Amino acid sequence: MTEYLIRRVLQSVLVIFLITIVTFLLIHAAPGGPTQVMLSPGLSPEIFKQQAHNLGLDKPIYIQYIRWIGDLLQGDLGYTFKNHLAVSDLLLPRIGNTFILMGAAWLVSLIIAIPWGIYNSTKVYGLSDQSASFISYIGFAMPTFWFGILLQQWFSLKLDWFPLSDMHTRGKEGDIGDLFMHLVLPITVLALGFLVSYMKYARASMLEVLDQDYIRTARAKGVKERKVIFHHALRNALIPIITVLGMDLPILVGGAALTESVFNWPGMGRLYVQMATQREYSVLMAITIVTAVMVVLGNLLADILYAVVDPRVKLSKQGGKAA
Amino acid sequence: MSIGQSQLPTDSLKVEQGLPAAELKRPPGPWVILWKKFSHNPYAMSGLFVLLFFIIVAILAPVLTKYKPDAIDMMFPNLKPGAEGHLLGTDELGRDILTRLLYSARISLSIGFTVAFASVVVGSIVGAISGYFGGWVDTIFMRIVDVTNSVPTLFLNILVLAIFGSEVKYMILILALTSWMSIARLVRGNFLQLREMQYVEAARAIGVSNWGIIFRHLLRNASFPIIVNATLMVGGAILSESALSYLGLGIQSPATSWGLMLSNAQEFMLIDPLQAVYPGLCILLVVLAVNFIGDGIRDGLDPRQQVTKSRRRLDKWRKNYSKSGN
Repeated sequence: MTEYLIRRVLQSVLVIFLITIVTFLLIHAAPGGPTQVMLSPGLSPEIFKQQAHNLGLDKPIYIQYIRWIGDLLQGDLGYTFKNHLAVSDLLLPRIGNTFILMGAAWLVSLIIAIPWGIYNSTKVYGLSDQSASFISYIGFAMPTFWFGILLQQWFSLKLDWFPLSDMHTRGKEGDIGDLFMHLVLPITVLALGFLVSYMKYARASMLEVLDQDYIRTARAKGVKERKVIFHHALRNALIPIITVLGMDLPILVGGAALTESVFNWPGMGRLYVQMATQREYSVLMAITIVTAVMVVLGNLLADILYAVVDPRVKLSKQGGKAA
Repeated sequence: MSIGQSQLPTDSLKVEQGLPAAELKRPPGPWVILWKKFSHNPYAMSGLFVLLFFIIVAILAPVLTKYKPDAIDMMFPNLKPGAEGHLLGTDELGRDILTRLLYSARISLSIGFTVAFASVVVGSIVGAISGYFGGWVDTIFMRIVDVTNSVPTLFLNILVLAIFGSEVKYMILILALTSWMSIARLVRGNFLQLREMQYVEAARAIGVSNWGIIFRHLLRNASFPIIVNATLMVGGAILSESALSYLGLGIQSPATSWGLMLSNAQEFMLIDPLQAVYPGLCILLVVLAVNFIGDGIRDGLDPRQQVTKSRRRLDKWRKNYSKSGN
């Protein structure tokens, strides 16, 4: 177990290291380099050179990389080209806003998807199962942002039940009820996306377990169907679902970019899109790295959790070590 | 000894050729079986018809409409659907919406198919090499997968388009670059299994080169799952294209795309809510059609399809049994 843990941690560190290199090289591959954007075009070549020198952009690329990564490790994410704002100040509140939105949507979808998927696995091809598969076909094929626009048209402009966009009504910051009203529509959009895949996984995972010999044994013993489902099957079926949840963390962090843009939610994804159109490379780099670190940590956590929850993983690892 | 071995397969071939009766009763090929099942699948067939409809309409766009997609007519902005000469009305600049929908179909479909094709080519080659040979190609490939899995695809697409500019060629490139991995993983997994097969050993024994084995034997056996995956990828690429265009990083005006039309329509939602409905409906229909086709092909290929049928019967029986039992 410890050996497995150490190997996974080292692997994660390597991946993060590779991501920093890739992002850094990508930015420096930009036509004209990063200087093109940050310096006003009308400057004379001497001043251009001087400014590039001040920013350390005339040094060889590996020196620049080492300096950048050194700053990064000290928590310095750099500054924006325009206005010279600290990227970390810009980013921190946005991360919180994204987590509020995504966390809520994720919880809502889990609460609906897992019981529904489990129910459908006990009544395959029933009415509920058929309608669930209809919803997932639509959910997989529909552009999420279009769904958002339709909800805005219907529930906000036509019926005026929920606010059109943003996170707070002006002057009502800190009002929980107001925040809740703003959350409803974006959560609906995001939750549909999560819902269709989690429902599918829950159902498939349950069906696989229900096909196992020990379930047949339990049924043959005369254990009540209720107890077979909840006691014998469910506990084993939940294990693969945990891994899927861990693997979904990238979506949790980055997948909101579209929904945030539709509803003008002041989150990380919306910031990313805005900064991309303004070519604020330091912000793009920072968000990419922060996201990647969170994703890698999430995957690591899911793997560890998996090993803790499922004793078979641990056993096979030890068996492998002995052999 | 070696001569005798190499003659074995040709001998058996001659025997087969010498029997015309056996030729007549030859079982239908995999494509025939696939088509038989596919054509009996109502979802797959309706998907096929919808997709064909969109393809034909996209090709014939200049014939079907007398307007240009970027022809601005400030005399008639925001006409309602059904207005004279404009079946679906006009947008805020007086451009005919139906025309723009037709020309958008051209862009979306060609991006979808190009991305899928490029991913299949790159993904099959990388997957084949890393699955068959293993070694450093495999190591590098697995690290690439690790890295790309750790950054949200949408972020990666946005980053590249922000750096290199929003041109169609870059969009196709980055969409292909972020989607070939799924094909490569699939091919790799398939090859890891297939390379242990006895016919591979047999082919190697008669002196077929590694590349011969990869292209003639293994890739052909892995081709059906690749086709299924590629079909679904067309839908995914169309969705990504529309998302990027909606965010303002994809197709740029005066060119047109369904995603771009949606971002326009959102601004004028109060004036004309229907403008936001058509482009989304087009995306939904095309992606749904492609997904149905992909599922249809998978079901047509999957011998387990029969198993599901018997499982359905089993479940029915189980239900009745548990009802009568308890």
